[in-house]
Amino acid sequence: MHTIQKYIGLSVVAGLLLFSCNPLELDQIDDPNNPSVGSVSENASRSQIQFLVTGLESRHRGYVENVSRAWNTFGREIWYLNGSDPRFQTDWLGQAGRVPDRIYFGFGTTGGGSWANPYQAIRQAETLVSATLNTTVLSTEEQAAIVGFARMIQGYQFMIPANFVYENGIRIDVEDPLNPGPYVPYEDAIRHAQSLLLEADQLLASAGSGDFPLTLTSGFADFTSLDRIREINNAILARTDIYLEDWQGVLDALDNSFMDMDGDLQAGPAHPYTGAPDLFNPLFYVRDAAINTIVVVHPSVLADATPGDARVAAKFFEREEPVIVTTDATPLVGTHQDNRWPTNTTPIPFIRNEELILLKAEAHAQLGQTDLAVEAINVIRNAAEIGDYTGATDLESLIDEILYQRRYSLWAEPWGHRWIDARRYDRLDEINTSFDQGTVFRQFPHPQSEVNWDIYAED
Amino acid sequence: MRNIYRFSLVMFLSLLSMGWTHAQYSVSGVVTDERTGDPMIGASILVQNTTKGTVTDLDGRFNLNFDDNSPATLIISSLGYLSQNVDVSPGNNTSLEVSLKEDATNLEEVVVTGLASTVKRSNLANAVSSVSSRELTGTTTIQTTDGALYGKVAGANIRSNGGAPGGGLSIQLRGISSLIGASQPLIILDGVYINNSFQRTGRATVTGAGGSNQDDGANRLADLNPADIESIEVLKGPSAAAIYGTRANAGVIIITTKRGSEGRTKVSLAQDIGFAQPLRLLGVDGWSEEKINTFFPENRRPTELQRFRESTGTIDYEDYFYNNTAVLSNTRLTVSGGDEKTKFFVSGNINSEDGTVKNTGFDRFSLRANLDHNITDNIKLGVSSNYIKSNTQRGFTGNQNNTGASIGYNIAYVPNYFDLRPDENGNYPVNPYFGENPIAVTDNAVNDSDVQRFVQAFNLDVDLLRTSNSFLRANVAGGFDFYQNSTLVYLPEFLQFQRGQANPGDAFWGKQESFNTNFQAALVYNFNWGKVNMNSQAGMVRLDFTNSSLFNRGRGLVPGQTNLRQASIQEIVDQFNSEVQEAGVFVQQEANFEDKIIGTVGVRWDKSTLNGDPNQYYAFPRASVAFNVANFDFWNSSVLTQLKPRIAYGETAGPVEFGNTFTRLQGANIGGLLGSVVGTQIGNTEIRPETATELEFGVDLGLLNNRFSLEATYYIKNTQNNIQNLNLAPSTGVNTTPSNEAELQNKGLELSLSGTVVDRGNFNWFSRIMYWQNRVNMTRLGIPQYTLGGFGPALGTFYYAEGFAPTTIVGTPADPNHPSGFTVWGNAQPKFNASAYNVLRIYNNLELSFLVEWRQGGENINLTSFLSDAGGTTNGWFGDDNGDGIPNGRQRPPEPYNNAGRWVQDASFVKVREIGLYYTLPKAALTNTFGNALEGVRFGMSVNNAFLFTDYQGYDPETSTFGAQSVANNVDIAPYPTPRRIFFHVNLDF
Repeated sequence: MHTIQKYIGLSVVAGLLLFSCNPLELDQIDDPNNPSVGSVSENASRSQIQFLVTGLESRHRGYVENVSRAWNTFGREIWYLNGSDPRFQTDWLGQAGRVPDRIYFGFGTTGGGSWANPYQAIRQAETLVSATLNTTVLSTEEQAAIVGFARMIQGYQFMIPANFVYENGIRIDVEDPLNPGPYVPYEDAIRHAQSLLLEADQLLASAGSGDFPLTLTSGFADFTSLDRIREINNAILARTDIYLEDWQGVLDALDNSFMDMDGDLQAGPAHPYTGAPDLFNPLFYVRDAAINTIVVVHPSVLADATPGDARVAAKFFEREEPVIVTTDATPLVGTHQDNRWPTNTTPIPFIRNEELILLKAEAHAQLGQTDLAVEAINVIRNAAEIGDYTGATDLESLIDEILYQRRYSLWAEPWGHRWIDARRYDRLDEINTSFDQGTVFRQFPHPQSEVNWDIYAED
Repeated sequence: MRNIYRFSLVMFLSLLSMGWTHAQYSVSGVVTDERTGDPMIGASILVQNTTKGTVTDLDGRFNLNFDDNSPATLIISSLGYLSQNVDVSPGNNTSLEVSLKEDATNLEEVVVTGLASTVKRSNLANAVSSVSSRELTGTTTIQTTDGALYGKVAGANIRSNGGAPGGGLSIQLRGISSLIGASQPLIILDGVYINNSFQRTGRATVTGAGGSNQDDGANRLADLNPADIESIEVLKGPSAAAIYGTRANAGVIIITTKRGSEGRTKVSLAQDIGFAQPLRLLGVDGWSEEKINTFFPENRRPTELQRFRESTGTIDYEDYFYNNTAVLSNTRLTVSGGDEKTKFFVSGNINSEDGTVKNTGFDRFSLRANLDHNITDNIKLGVSSNYIKSNTQRGFTGNQNNTGASIGYNIAYVPNYFDLRPDENGNYPVNPYFGENPIAVTDNAVNDSDVQRFVQAFNLDVDLLRTSNSFLRANVAGGFDFYQNSTLVYLPEFLQFQRGQANPGDAFWGKQESFNTNFQAALVYNFNWGKVNMNSQAGMVRLDFTNSSLFNRGRGLVPGQTNLRQASIQEIVDQFNSEVQEAGVFVQQEANFEDKIIGTVGVRWDKSTLNGDPNQYYAFPRASVAFNVANFDFWNSSVLTQLKPRIAYGETAGPVEFGNTFTRLQGANIGGLLGSVVGTQIGNTEIRPETATELEFGVDLGLLNNRFSLEATYYIKNTQNNIQNLNLAPSTGVNTTPSNEAELQNKGLELSLSGTVVDRGNFNWFSRIMYWQNRVNMTRLGIPQYTLGGFGPALGTFYYAEGFAPTTIVGTPADPNHPSGFTVWGNAQPKFNASAYNVLRIYNNLELSFLVEWRQGGENINLTSFLSDAGGTTNGWFGDDNGDGIPNGRQRPPEPYNNAGRWVQDASFVKVREIGLYYTLPKAALTNTFGNALEGVRFGMSVNNAFLFTDYQGYDPETSTFGAQSVANNVDIAPYPTPRRIFFHVNLDF
């Protein structure tokens, strides 16, 4: 009897102990690894805004690897030879009649670097804008500068999905993740980019003078002042206006940009790649490395080159041993690799003086201002050491010449210039597929996830 | 008043004692083993419908006193034997001689049904599979516990990632319960919730293969020494596992280790020595000038022809890398024994196995101490401690990208006339066919994991109250599981691919720690209510899981160095911490009417910090009933000695993944600055656990005095709230949010027929045949249909849509007539599995056992042949089966050629998984030779993975390059070939 009482007593004590540190009570567990998005929505501190600005620079370069490899393959500026996955050849070159579908190889269900990533930059910019406007730690001028910067990046990024799906159109109302707006045609999409850049221009103008209020990376090394950022904005605007065939707009924007007919053609803002913990330059390959996965110069670029073109010597490195990858259709032989990057921490420019001068040439040519067009062309030609332009000066000849110069001046830049240029001048059939027996795509359909959302939202 | 009460109590007690002194009788007896005639130690004698009983002594004898003269029924039982009921009374059967028969059909086995109670198999209302140590490790030596379960559990589909030493297996019980993650069963080792996760090693990162699910890391059940296991019980679905609540959707595997028993101290030493060779190789295609001129581009042909002509001999690289003989050794020492108060079981194990690929292997050192002590007659404490150190060298196989650091992937491209072997100075030639020399990788690269682990369990039973027909017991149990896994993947700077990098040399270091604790307290009250035995239990459970991992990478290494400080690029690749807390309460009521009708109802309520609302309890009810028709008095058949229809229903849940509720700002470094970027997942703060309901019914038959038994079970398992990522419009800058939309249904049939086919004095043949099948169907998707898994439609992917099994394999060419838009090429789910287990015993000394498994149907996506076709090395590549002038390797059926269908292959097989032949030295011979120094000697030899019969064009139809996954676990990319393992055994008992 006594033992039983003792046990009952003991279990009561044990029970009390249990409830003093109640084992049924759970602690609140917050994310131990990251802050939440909600933490910046109200009264963000200055350092939180700084982190968002740097985050925007990071998102801003999200497209580089995919667009550089894929779009430049579509435009036959390069081949991305990949010994481990033949689909980089078969699918990207459209061999055996392959046509892009909604989950095409290299783009996944979200469109990857050509769709989802630019939109992530756009969302990041929007988060930055709302954090900036919902805090009291910034002056009105500082707010204008930061919002202007964010709008500039948005303008740039909207052009990427727009050019990816082209006539299929894109969404421009994308603030509410659960309620995205309708698709608008290509022209409206580019016009939306233009309006963001125009808004950015006004905001940057109203932000006063002096330096950008927060720290930017070395990618903006020569562009730290508000005036210089405005010049980048206008350079991007000129690219937008070209796509809108707003020729005068191009020239006006160029006037306010960093274009310099006598200056360094390489000048321009860049995406920095400084190595761990940052990324490495994704376009860099060690010269002559005995590897079977590498970006090589497309044979048509080599075949069409003007003898003595300094750009060929500077940009293309002839390998000791060519890289050969066999495919279903035909083997691909890469004799030259990309020589633009001295190291794997070289930054990648996203708009350069050289392009601006070519935009100027194109706009003048289209406006019938032949001399001014030729003058701009000659700046490029002389830099390439191939002498002044001596050909015909009718519009078609000039456009031929400008597109040709763009192939070499803007070769394999992270934008897919050749593909976009050939399409806007309806010359996709001029892209040489004889070396790979593939086809040239016109555009991509909307990624599967995009379509799926509409189906889901309808239900 | 008080005095009156005291007085009547005294009167009552004296009356009781008077009866006790005046009317009593005693029963004594001896219990022996029917087959051997040996006395049985520790057999239990229980008076039916009471808690009264005793156990037999060292000579198999017992004596039992009765308080009065009324007749009683004794239940005489022992683990592994069929029990017997004997009616006794003062004038009848007071001196007994009972011989017990071996329980070949396991009717008497005790099965866990609640968190603190057990039930006899013959009373069970669920199809719970049990695997004894005899079945688990008695035939041959299996590296890991999960590997030892192959073909032994009806309803379990077990799949190995590949043949690399050190484990890496997944278990699916009753089909697919979840669309995400691995969906592996909960594993409980002596009451401890142990971690069985697959661990990241960094192999996939360093070799470029992709996500960590392509690491081919081992799951950590590999740490457990299978020889320590006494039995494994598999609760296959919610109807049996409901009392385990939130983590039981994929089933529960309950592992119980061996414990000491009263008596002489037994020392047992076992040594296995063996060797392993590949079970199956495929051969490679030869080369000719004609083939070179077909295969290579024109400008390459002269070089290749020259190499071909100058070649001094061919090298079969498959043979070179894989066809090696590995030495296997497993040493086990156990000491067990004890007295009335204290019992112990101590075991040590050194497992040292090489792999068939050079520089691979698995070493495990395990030390276990299981102690049981009766603190008083009413308080019993049991503790189990296990320290393990496992070292795994897994080498480089599987998927890769560009780095060439995968043997199979690499050699798929190397023609046999090119010599990759190092010259006399040790210099490896540059491989002109791929980015790396695989011999240099195999000789010099490192892919190691070093696990240190400690598992501690305790169990405290306190008898609070014991009367003649009831008892109240408290049970407090729990424990912890701690491990640390240090991993290193190292590619030295002089490798061909590394030399082509800006910073040659790559070392990827990982440290992962996991600490799980669990605690449970329960009260069990057992009483007789008329003829019904009632067992009530109530309790609570608390679980805590913490994990942390840190991965660092150094590139640009000082030659020969792996230390991160010797790297020019030092990078923190990932740091991830997680903490999960869960709590639950449960009640369960069992009622047993004279072993005729047995019913159980119970509920568990759980909450978890993983859920959107961490404070909401989710309820998991269960109910079951079984009718032992043959135990009713009206039943009078000598043929059908057991007939038990049964039905059970239960609900469980699958946990939400950690972090599903978070919307993150992630760190992103750029240009020397740190940025915060908006993550691409929107957290779902209303996420609920995946829940499953299961209705299971069946019938158990015992034939010819239970010499044969048949278990037939049909189940319908429905899961709701299945978590999958709802894809948001990526144009909004976010990609996913977890959703609870999908629903799945699994229906299946499980049959098990077992029995002693021949039972003569000197020849005994036991056989068990099992059959199981499962059909899964997506009954609701809730979000737009999608394809996922594998490598996209061109190489075969999986189709997620309402009305289809998510295991449906679709791919190119496009088929507008099918809702997926693609052609359906197969289904990963087998049509059925069947296995046969046989034990033949001759003269009690010679024992032969073998296990065969047959899987019919189920397709794999075989991308190994995709690679060798691209490299021209598939055996028969240059043949031309349809005679159209295009070699086979460039024109794979089905027509239209070269679409996804060419890689989707039937993975049916028959495997002889285990064969064992053992000879036990007769006792007399032993005494003559060794005197009393040795108690027993046993010799044997055995084979694991003895034979494989299949049309599948791969090393093993059971493989998964993506490791354990609920779907897409059947993709084959250059795996480590499965070994055939042959052992010689010596067991000495002192």
